[in-house]
Amino acid sequence: MAEELNNDNRILSELFRTFFAKHWPVWIGGIILGMLNILLFMIKSPWGGSGGYNNWGENVYQAAGFLGLENVTPTNTSLYGMLNILIILGAFAGALFSKEFALRIPPVGELIKGFIGGGLMAIGATMGIGCTIGGFFSGIPALSGGAIFLTIGLFLGTLVALKYLFWEMENFPGFSTGKSRTLLAASEKTGGWQIWLGWIVIIVVFVMAYNYFGNGNAVMSWFVIIGLLMGLICQRSRFCIVASFRDPFMTGKSSSTVGVITGLLIGLIGFTIIKLFGVGAGDTALRAREMTWVFPHFWLRAPIGGFIFGLGMTIAGGCAVGALWRFGEGQVKLWAAVLGFLLISPISKKFIVPEFVDLLPHSLRYKNFMPDYIGYTWSVVIVLAILFIWYLFVKWNERTGKFSTY
Amino acid sequence: MNTEELTALAVDKLVDARGTACPGPLLEAKKAIGTISSGQIMEVLSADEGTKRDIPKWANKKGHDYLGTVEESGYFKIYLKKG
Repeated sequence: MAEELNNDNRILSELFRTFFAKHWPVWIGGIILGMLNILLFMIKSPWGGSGGYNNWGENVYQAAGFLGLENVTPTNTSLYGMLNILIILGAFAGALFSKEFALRIPPVGELIKGFIGGGLMAIGATMGIGCTIGGFFSGIPALSGGAIFLTIGLFLGTLVALKYLFWEMENFPGFSTGKSRTLLAASEKTGGWQIWLGWIVIIVVFVMAYNYFGNGNAVMSWFVIIGLLMGLICQRSRFCIVASFRDPFMTGKSSSTVGVITGLLIGLIGFTIIKLFGVGAGDTALRAREMTWVFPHFWLRAPIGGFIFGLGMTIAGGCAVGALWRFGEGQVKLWAAVLGFLLISPISKKFIVPEFVDLLPHSLRYKNFMPDYIGYTWSVVIVLAILFIWYLFVKWNERTGKFSTY
Repeated sequence: MNTEELTALAVDKLVDARGTACPGPLLEAKKAIGTISSGQIMEVLSADEGTKRDIPKWANKKGHDYLGTVEESGYFKIYLKKG
């Protein structure tokens, strides 16, 4: 009996180690995130990042009495506001279970870069309507023509910011160096509290989901659970969209890009089915289902926003979701990025974006759902072709190093 | 190399990149390796989990020897020999 129990324990601890002893390959993260994104769409609407930040920011300003905001959706009833909180908690749990949690406090220069990067992400996301998640990771599978242009903008922004980072290191090497501190870190023998705290986080989240369910908000209870899983998976696989754009041009490494492409591919299959068959349309018209996550930013509004967002995410070292999960594992630079994002977003939405939108004629900012023009089949074929060419490029570049400056 | 061998190495260049987040440590490693000569040992300190994967891959690609990583509490020591 005792031996059986012992065996059971060993099986359980082996299972635990499978998930938390090592990082997962990024493509595994990509597959699961793609599937969870499909689930979100089936329940309600796809994954998005910037809307949640904006909700946080508006709540902060309303509480402080700035900007004259009224009737802001409280974060505890905002699906995407909560989703972002849960991604942080999921990443926190993932880091605790693997004893990787530590408060990593960088020098002031890095904190400033985090805040500015977050602010640029906010401006980019509000101008381009969408970030790396809603506009790109969900927008491409949603067969939105604007998403392709947003992606081009993200690419260009990343490349310019990468040039800046090299330049800063050569010319102002002092800016990002200085005193840094690491607090609360665990080691192989110490830090067992991290695993216990991880379980507490999981229990708290399940109680939260249960309460939403009991109060008749089943959609939110599933957003809570899926958000937790997303954060955990991002942290374990180090799913990083900045790296997917940046690494081929830096180290030549392709693993992050392949992970993102995998997620897009899975999303593409699920999203196409949902849109084509009107899955989960409920009382809304099929047309509304088809147009989900197709934003009025085709074709010029998207890349302008994408470019600014690309600058911001590269300087901050994490995109809308990358900032959240790194926040959860204790990287204080990304705390600054999250703060910059949520504080600048409502300001940009209220003061910068309206001015900017007035400058663009309607023909440069409309909703383009690709199947309206070329049908579902060709839209899917084109997206597949783009993903395949991107894959071939990063793999070829990894071997030859033609485009990697490092 | 095991932990004892790694920590006993005579290090020619120490790069403390614990303050920077991804991709900072890699940028600093790249810059610093230009200052030592072939066969010399460099030690990079990083608090960024991603670096554990990135620096060995980069070293392999550039023909430097990746000797190993020692985990301390809250950061890593990554050892390289310039190729």
